[in-house]
Amino acid sequence: MSHVDDGTLHTYLDGELAPAEARGVDAHVAQCPACRERLEEERALITRAGELLALAAPPDRELPPFRAGDVRPPTRLWWRVRLPLAWAATIVLALGIGTYLGRGVEQGRRAETAADTAPARLRALEAPIRPEQAQRESRVAARGTARKPAAAPVAAQGFVRLDGERDGLKGSPIGVDTARALLGGDPLAVPGAPIRAVYRARELGYSAVVIVEQVLDSNTVIEVVNRRRSPMALDQVVVTAAPAARADSVSAPERAVPSRARVADSLAAAPAERAAARLSRRFANLEIQISGPVSSDSLRKLLELVQPLKP
Amino acid sequence: MPQDLAEVYRTTYRALVRFLYRKVWDAERAEDLAQEAFVRAVVHKPDNARGWLFIVAANMARDEARRAARERRHLTLLTAEPQESRSATDEALDVESDRARVRAALDELSPRDREVLLLWDAGLSYEEIAAQTGLARGAIGTTLSRARRRLVQAYEAGKPGEHVARG
Repeated sequence: MSHVDDGTLHTYLDGELAPAEARGVDAHVAQCPACRERLEEERALITRAGELLALAAPPDRELPPFRAGDVRPPTRLWWRVRLPLAWAATIVLALGIGTYLGRGVEQGRRAETAADTAPARLRALEAPIRPEQAQRESRVAARGTARKPAAAPVAAQGFVRLDGERDGLKGSPIGVDTARALLGGDPLAVPGAPIRAVYRARELGYSAVVIVEQVLDSNTVIEVVNRRRSPMALDQVVVTAAPAARADSVSAPERAVPSRARVADSLAAAPAERAAARLSRRFANLEIQISGPVSSDSLRKLLELVQPLKP
Repeated sequence: MPQDLAEVYRTTYRALVRFLYRKVWDAERAEDLAQEAFVRAVVHKPDNARGWLFIVAANMARDEARRAARERRHLTLLTAEPQESRSATDEALDVESDRARVRAALDELSPRDREVLLLWDAGLSYEEIAAQTGLARGAIGTTLSRARRRLVQAYEAGKPGEHVARG
């Protein structure tokens, strides 16, 4: 038998050589000092490479419970099934506000507007899909919600839309322990400020969003948003949600005037929103953002202060 | 989670984290991605869960690297993530520099050699590595022998400079 090549030696040493071939290597090495020496060299090389890789191993931790399994599949389901419903509710809400405003502006057309509403929704189903506009539309609707709290209960599935700056859905209050489980670690908050409530929220691109409401003084409440990034490409979900674009076509004649005015003021507000969006920082695997009715300087300082809420 | 997948989780999770860690170089992210891979396995119910998991993990790590590169360009305002390993003790610094050196040495390998080496180190058999990489089973030994040699050489070559830097 000829000398054994490196590949075969490694396969042999890795215990991956077929038994017949392994016996051949045994036989050859037994009578070939050169190959015997090489065998030992390769053995040392394999050991050394293994040691080096061990130097670059993650910290050895206990096997965690399969945490994702009980939390996330429902999450996915929620997005697939409920999101379109939430959008649908938003559309209805937008219609409602449009109608409401229309009443004020165009008193004379009230009856006509009401009569138009249902056909408008039907038309919407056949309309071309234009996501960006729809999103803007729904933000406009959300703004309306914020100004008119009476309209809020219309929101879908127990989630109300947040203000226009954040494209998420705020859920019902949760406990700090639940927040911890969702985020896979302690939620962050400003130390020393009493916590009024903790909410769960939904936001595209994040596997978990927790909002901690803290009271700075009697009339100042800030929100510390803890976002845990989803490893999944949730942008795909945005595509799933595209039917929401139908909201666009609902902006049909009867509420064109008020809605356009609102889009305009949302555009005017855009620079401020961008500034607010930049007030965020990473903390381990969380993205932290603070918002509230205080100056951006104060927000920035508060952001520096945030600490994990220890149990 | 189905019984057999629970078993795969028990036997493969750590190996998957180790594999991912050498790609994203962040333990937390590696664990998140591993969890995510298992979530997808629950949904997709692949026949060969183990092999499937490593393929999905490799893809996620690649996407992650692209996304990280994008984020580095965009999110300049975010403060740097505190590195837990940056403790003041010499021992910690040594561990950190060893890790950095191995990482640099791994970067010297060709992508295919590195992949094969990392998969082997994660506990996959030649058969499984061949299935995953598309290499012939007979080529795995040669690839591994080359990868191991380059890794050790690159690591040793990285040493002197590092000592100068420390002195």
